[in-house]
Order: sequence, then structure tokens, then C-alpha cells
Amino acid sequence: MRESPSLLAFPAVLVLHTVGMGFLVGTNVAIDLRVLGFASGIPLAPIKRFFPVMWLGFWVNALSGLALLIAYPTKALTNWVFYVKLALIVLAMASLRTLGSQVFGDPEPDGKPLPRMGRILAGTSLLLWVGAITAGRLLAYTYVQLMAGE
Amino acid sequence: MNHYVWVWPASESLHFFGLSLLIGTVGLLDLRMLGMAKMLPLAPLHRLIPWGILGFIINLTTGILFFAGNPFRYIHNIAFAFKLLFIAVAGVNVLVFYLAVFRRTEALGPGEDTPLPAKIIAAVSLFLWVAVMCLGRLITFMDHTL
Repeated sequence: MRESPSLLAFPAVLVLHTVGMGFLVGTNVAIDLRVLGFASGIPLAPIKRFFPVMWLGFWVNALSGLALLIAYPTKALTNWVFYVKLALIVLAMASLRTLGSQVFGDPEPDGKPLPRMGRILAGTSLLLWVGAITAGRLLAYTYVQLMAGE
Repeated sequence: MNHYVWVWPASESLHFFGLSLLIGTVGLLDLRMLGMAKMLPLAPLHRLIPWGILGFIINLTTGILFFAGNPFRYIHNIAFAFKLLFIAVAGVNVLVFYLAVFRRTEALGPGEDTPLPAKIIAAVSLFLWVAVMCLGRLITFMDHTL
């Protein structure tokens, strides 16, 4: 995949990774904004139906990310920023799951005040994603070693 | 732009966050119009759109910064040309949405289906913005193609 000049290889994987991110982070941010109190007219219960969009985005990115890692293992694994990115993603997904069960797992979340935990999770989620995106972008600029032979 | 080493990566990160804001709000509205999460009433969901507009403004600004930093690179790049074209078409689609179907769509409540014209506009919107993301990512591979 690394050597193929075909647009179908490396660029396609990057494109998938970007689109996956758009839907995963985008949907998550929209939900976080709602939980934080914006557009509060949106009922909470139906939002659960958007969770599969995020999970699809996550798996597309996990797989495309794995492909990128296999193509350039040394570049990623010798770069501490890569580990920071992964850690932030793990935390962001854990936050999402907790939000999912705490707020959206309630069979009737509407008509009662949001659990305090919900707002904290939503705010944290936003920060974590900003961090993960920044770390991901910085990977292109901070790598120390491109290939294993160097 | 080219004087401070951190400006470009910072702008890129902002550009990605901006696109997430746009896709997350406009995209979810499009998905609802296409029938997902049907118990959501449309007007409240539409209240998230200003955040999408914020995302668009962030991306327009960082986009102008990118272009200003290296205009020669972008004008000779076919992915960039098509990206701008698709954004323009998406803009026309937005106009059509507000002029033709918004009033009727906005009134829809939980469980109500959107009329076919609205569905077409939503599908076109989703397609165009996903295409814009793809083309944006391909810019780096299409230098000297125009």
C-alpha cells in the first residue's frame, strides 16, 4: 500500500480516515452540544439512533488507522505523539460510552434534569476530540524516523 | 503564515474541527430528513445548524490562510478546483433547501416523514459534503495537475 502509486491505495485510506473522523467527531460534538444545553428543544431519547453513525465512523477509522500503521509502522511507533493520540481516542470513546449509558441509556431521559455527570462528560468529550484531532495532525510534523532502516 | 512554524498545523487542526462541526450538524439534519432517528422533531434539530455555520466559517478562514500562504500550489491543483466547485454547488443546494422546502420541513414533528423534495436535497447535501471532505484530503496528492 505504501509503494503503490495508485490513488486507490494510500490516499484512499487517508480519505476514509478523514470521512470517518468527520462523522464520528461531528456526531459526537453535536450530541455534546445538546447535552451541554444548546438546542435544548431536541428530545434526548431519539438521539440514541445516531449512535450507530458514530460507531461506524469509529470502526472505519480503526481499520483505516490500522492500515496506515501497517504501511508506516516505524514512523508511528517511534513517535510519542502517536501514543498520545491513541490515549485521547480511548478516553474520548470511553466518555462517549459512559454518556451513552448514563444519559441515553435511561429509557426516559426527557422531562427530567440531565445528570450532572452528563454535562461534565460532554465538555470533556469536546476537549478530548480537539486534542485527538490536533495530535493526529501533528503526526505528520513530529515523526522522528520514517523507516526502520534509518 | 509562513513565518511561524506552528500556524500551519494549528490551522489544519482547526480546519478538521470545523469540518466536524459542519458534518455533525448538517449531516445529522440530512440523516433525519432521510428518515434516521425519526422521532426527532425537525425544528429543534435545525437549531444546531448555527454551529455548522461556525464550522464553515472556521474552515473558510483557515482555507483562505492556506491559500494565501501558497496560492501557486492551489491554483494548479485539480482536487482543490473540484473542492471549490462542490462547495459552490452545496451552497446552491442550501439556497434551494431554504427557498423551496424549509418552511414545510421545519414544521415536521416526531415520527413524521419528510416530503420527497426534501429527501433529495438532504441526500445531495450529504453527498456533496462527503465529496468535499474527500477532495480536500486528496489535495496533497494532486499538486501540479492543473
